[in-house]
Amino acid sequence: MKKNAITFLLATIFVIAGAVVASIARSTEGEVPAPPAIGATIEDFTLPDADGKEHSLNSLKGKNGSVLIFVATKCPVSNGYNERMEKLAQDYKARGINVIGINSNVAESAAAVKAHAAQNNLTFTVLKDPANKVADRLGATVTPEAYFLDANNKLLYRGRIDNAKDPAQVNSSELRDAIEATLAGKPVAKTTASAFGCTIKRA
Amino acid sequence: MTVARPFILVAISLSIILLTNFAAPAQSPKRKSRAAKPSVVVREIDATSLAAILKRESAARPLLVNFWATWCDPCREEFPELVKLDQQFRPKGLDMIAVSLDDFADIKTAVPKFLRQMRATMPAYLLNVPDPDPIIKSVDPRWSGALPATFLYDAEGHVVYKHFGRIKPLELRAEIEKLVGSKVVMSQ
Repeated sequence: MKKNAITFLLATIFVIAGAVVASIARSTEGEVPAPPAIGATIEDFTLPDADGKEHSLNSLKGKNGSVLIFVATKCPVSNGYNERMEKLAQDYKARGINVIGINSNVAESAAAVKAHAAQNNLTFTVLKDPANKVADRLGATVTPEAYFLDANNKLLYRGRIDNAKDPAQVNSSELRDAIEATLAGKPVAKTTASAFGCTIKRA
Repeated sequence: MTVARPFILVAISLSIILLTNFAAPAQSPKRKSRAAKPSVVVREIDATSLAAILKRESAARPLLVNFWATWCDPCREEFPELVKLDQQFRPKGLDMIAVSLDDFADIKTAVPKFLRQMRATMPAYLLNVPDPDPIIKSVDPRWSGALPATFLYDAEGHVVYKHFGRIKPLELRAEIEKLVGSKVVMSQ
């Protein structure tokens, strides 16, 4: 019996060690976890804003939901959306949906995030995600990338804000469509859509 | 400091070599400037043309595809490595293309200018599409559209290696060698 117990213990240690080695190997390859499925509930999280003040998702979300947008200070695509993101925040605040920015770029400091928000008149909260905790949980890899959650943090839409960096060429606004459908009590027609953007530089 | 010092020395020596070479008055300035700027043509492609290129129907060679843009810092940073790989492996049987996601307005300006600076000679395209989503999903369902993105196809048109974000030159080189190496063995 004792021998069996030792064998079992050794086997367990071996399996755990193997899993640890495998996870390290994956992370060095820069693999990002897959995003949660549409319909999955996003667990509450806490991150600091650019002043270091901690906020939870549940404390920032509106009564009808939230839009998390991965943003960058230096990415020209993300910057091309500054005005559109601010307009989105203004348009939906009164309708119970709050926009929350998340900066997961390792090279962009909290001070840079604060200065960028001030220069670009961004009034919504931008959180700093220094260890990519939330970017990993949501499988975010690109800026700008939006995640629309309902009041219960259920993921309803993930992807681009609209189809074109150049506002003049926008002819499909998937994020707004998803929000409007949800506010009207309808299902979201297009639940994911991609566009070219900047890679999130992880820690 | 102990690590930095040799680098500084190398950098200083390199600067001296480069300065002495390039600061010397050129005998034929016209010829020299022409040699420094090879002609680069960036061709506009749409979704259908890109799909045809990636499908590799009549392919006999492996293909490396790099999606990039001049506004993308890691894309610009990795480009010299791609140029090196192109020069080294094209004679050995690798095709390489660079697909720019810059604005169409840059097709005759910023994009060829950068490629000239890089002395890039691989076929260069600019993808001009109103909706990038179907292309991103058809190239790879796990691709978010983040740039740069690099895909290596074997001669049958299957993706055998992909990398999102700045390439890891040694890793990519090893993957190319696997393909080009096997081709050499097969042809013998």
